[in-house]
Amino acid sequence: MSRGISADGPENVLDWLYERGKQRGERVPEFDVEKTLSRARAARDAGAVNFWSVLSPTERRAFESAARVQTFPAGTALMREGEQAAEVIVIFDGWTKVCLDDDGQDRVIAERGPGDLVGERGTVPGNVRSATVIAVDTVRALVMTTTDYATFVSEHPGVPDLVKKQIYDRLIDRPAPSGPGA
Amino acid sequence: MSPPQDPYGDAESLFRAAYRDMTRTAYALLGNRADTEDATQNSFHRLMMAWRRVAGLPTARQQRAYLLRIVTNEALQILRYPHRKWERSIGDAIEQESSQGSPDENVHAREYLRLVWTAISELPGVRQEVVVLHAAGYEYEEIAAQLGIRISTVRSHISDARQQLSQAVRRDWEGAQE
Repeated sequence: MSRGISADGPENVLDWLYERGKQRGERVPEFDVEKTLSRARAARDAGAVNFWSVLSPTERRAFESAARVQTFPAGTALMREGEQAAEVIVIFDGWTKVCLDDDGQDRVIAERGPGDLVGERGTVPGNVRSATVIAVDTVRALVMTTTDYATFVSEHPGVPDLVKKQIYDRLIDRPAPSGPGA
Repeated sequence: MSPPQDPYGDAESLFRAAYRDMTRTAYALLGNRADTEDATQNSFHRLMMAWRRVAGLPTARQQRAYLLRIVTNEALQILRYPHRKWERSIGDAIEQESSQGSPDENVHAREYLRLVWTAISELPGVRQEVVVLHAAGYEYEEIAAQLGIRISTVRSHISDARQQLSQAVRRDWEGAQE
């Protein structure tokens, strides 16, 4: 097709799209359903909850006293995919990127910053990290062991529900697709 | 015509079964791997959130049609999104057939296409779906089978959409040039 798309005029744009779609459809590269599913799961596990904002002042104080402050220089990992998840981390300063290993290349699936809880899988003993979290700039964070987090949660039973509720709210926040017959 | 298949019992089975169709459709619309992966990945989330409703659909074909609609919506979002990531635009330029043109023409064409996709996304319900599948290179028969509607219905939707799109795009394009 030598003419430019806009020169063709809007009457023919649908034909142009159809031809292009047909051509592309004949050379679709291989996609791996397992990869797509594992990415989708990891993005979900990575949280998407502004944890700190849902805690009450009392809960924040309790969390702070049971956690330790740790600084991660830019470029270092807060956690790595495949490792045992022994801690949960709340960022209070700086930004991170959540990555997955995609055939040796890092693929960024999310960004997490102040107030975010990262490594929610560390809330259940025995879990393995589903993603790598790298500090983009200097990150200061509250780090708590899985055991201490379990104690914290049992003493403040409202917490996990709040976290779950926020995950849910955020998911249904997105404009829902209208289904057939909708 | 084969008898209706029992509906899928869980979201993952449906997703796996429809995956090939989903990636084919998304790739035909988006033209690059990264966007296709994003669209299908997001579709899984949407499917999970809508699962209670999808599980209640009476046949597997209706469930697949629903999921296909989710993925075309995701693709439309990506196509309409004006500030796409820089590396993506580079990827596009490499993969796009129109990359032989001058950079000016490409910017022009991209902006024009964005108007087209916006106009398509404003078409009502089934008509939008028919047009998106047509733009993904599906024949009328295939679209009719996918959506469970008659070929004559597909034809009339496309014919009406041609008018609507032509008006909307001409209006917006001329507006943008002034």
